[in-house]
Amino acid sequence: MIATLLFVVFAILMVIGVPVCVSLGVAGTLAIVLANQDVAWFGLLAVPQNFYAGLAKYPLLAIPMFVLVGSIFDRSGVARRLVDLAIAIVGRGPGMLPLIAIAVAMFLGGISGSGPACAAAVGAVMITAMSRAGYPGPFSASVVAAGAATDILIPPSIAFIIYSILVPGASVPALFAAGMVPGILAGFALIVPAVWLSRKHKLGALEAHLPRPPFWASLREALWGLAAPVLILGGMRMGWFTPTEAAVVAVFYGLFVGMFIHRTIKFRDLFIILREAAELSAVIMMVVALAGIFAWALSTLSIIDPLTHAIVNSGLGEWGVLALLILLLMTMGMFLDGISIFLIFVPLLMPIADAYGWDPVWFGVILTLKVALGQFTPPLAVNLMVSCRIARVPMESTVPWVLWLLGAMFLVLIAVLVFPQLALWLPHALGY
Amino acid sequence: MAWSTVGCCDVGWIGQAFPELPLTCPAIHSVAPCLPLHFFDHPDTKLLLSMSRSDDPVESVDPAEPIIPVTSDPAVKVPLAIEDWLAVSVIAILALITFVNVLVRYFTDQSFAWTEEISVFLLIVLTMAGGSSAFVRNNHIRIEAVADKGSPARQRRLALISHTVVLLFFMLLTVLSARLVMDQYLYEETSPAIGVPAWWYSIWLPVMAAAIALRSLGTLRRLLQGKAQ
Repeated sequence: MIATLLFVVFAILMVIGVPVCVSLGVAGTLAIVLANQDVAWFGLLAVPQNFYAGLAKYPLLAIPMFVLVGSIFDRSGVARRLVDLAIAIVGRGPGMLPLIAIAVAMFLGGISGSGPACAAAVGAVMITAMSRAGYPGPFSASVVAAGAATDILIPPSIAFIIYSILVPGASVPALFAAGMVPGILAGFALIVPAVWLSRKHKLGALEAHLPRPPFWASLREALWGLAAPVLILGGMRMGWFTPTEAAVVAVFYGLFVGMFIHRTIKFRDLFIILREAAELSAVIMMVVALAGIFAWALSTLSIIDPLTHAIVNSGLGEWGVLALLILLLMTMGMFLDGISIFLIFVPLLMPIADAYGWDPVWFGVILTLKVALGQFTPPLAVNLMVSCRIARVPMESTVPWVLWLLGAMFLVLIAVLVFPQLALWLPHALGY
Repeated sequence: MAWSTVGCCDVGWIGQAFPELPLTCPAIHSVAPCLPLHFFDHPDTKLLLSMSRSDDPVESVDPAEPIIPVTSDPAVKVPLAIEDWLAVSVIAILALITFVNVLVRYFTDQSFAWTEEISVFLLIVLTMAGGSSAFVRNNHIRIEAVADKGSPARQRRLALISHTVVLLFFMLLTVLSARLVMDQYLYEETSPAIGVPAWWYSIWLPVMAAAIALRSLGTLRRLLQGKAQ
């Protein structure tokens, strides 16, 4: 009864436009009051306690730091130099620019941890280049948004950090390693329809005859960017630093490259970069903190166990339940962002995963793949919003293109569902 | 190279090699008119796109133009610079503390465990300060599909309800967290790592929750005055 109210209040508040974080907090608070009517202060002291406890976690520090890495590399000039190098390697033949956009987005995925940041960095360089070469804006926007979605799978990834905070059984290094193969697979899967579509529709023929940039000069220019993922991922792998520290090292590396090597970041830009990163991290962490109240209310109502029991014994079988979960998350993903989905649904879904003995790391990769798909599924698609805005096209116009890319990445999701080893092999091999 | 100093647009070597090509980017000097407005209000979109992106160090005489004009802040009476400077200083200090920690560990084989406590505390300050300015700028994650459609009167009504909910929630949080701080003060709780009184940290929660409540009050005031005009 109270549990139903919890979700109904949450849904109503959200629909009328109350920020998701406050909707979570209010719904949780109401549920606490209704469940504790005979206790002093209605048990409300749990509200600030859970707010505080939800935030006072050292691993959360990784979130502002990786957001900051994104803001810095966004303007460090690395993306442009990587694109030049890629053109020097593969040229400008039919379908090559979309391939480059996806490849560079994947590469930046190894530096930054959030999809929209990656879409902004790649989109700023690629979308104008692609429109000059004759690719239609909606196509370029779709390709960039989809490519940037691999960012949250390819380590480092803010999504995995949040999942790891929610699921103690899945460590950040294990999740990072597990995201690598599916992330790269997803990138390759996206390249196939992107190249095929541009050949089929004869797109991008305008600049095919232009000479390639000189290879060695481009390589030298791109070297600073190329070294960044080596430093971040290698440093974590070698045990030089924790994920949070890796982010901070990347922050200073990016600032050094941007301010002194490529000189694209000026001193006065620092305030803007820091402000944007601080506000975006606060937005994320406010959801984390207030979702803590919501999750606590949910856990005290003791509905999770009976619900899990009912689902497990519903006769749908493991695959039926899994299919249902994917369907549920796909639907939710049309209205909610990835972080909120994790914070609301992971506490509900983990008992089901436990009941079936699903590997928490594999389950995390599946959920993240789903969220990655959601990042470029209209109407609420954070990456597409960014890339459409750069390409100056309405989001609806991307639908005929983006459906192909969604289909390709969905196949990767199916593949990881059917062959869990795609995700689990690397963390096992690395000994996490 | 005038076209690359227009600024924001990353034309890359292609532009440098072929200066005669018309390489200005009309796309980024005006907000795309064709998109429904709520697309722009998503925090990620707004934050990431309002950044300047000049990539030509040699000739950027003009200050870097933003890739899309930055939306101007609402007409607040108390400057948002308070929250901005607080949030910016905190995130900068957090990065520095962690970086110094890495360096110190490599050069001296020691680590400062106590910095963890400070970092966690600063994380909370960052969330509240950045969260406060995000409420004013309407940058929090929310569903715009219903709230920002329909007649202006309906939008205004929903905005009034929504901001009232935020106001009430943070007023409640102020009172409750003040109560929590009182308990910590009365029972003389100390922090686990450094051993200072716990209320030194937690006192910031009611203070900043009150600040957010005041900010929502300000937003409500602007909404109500908007009608009067």
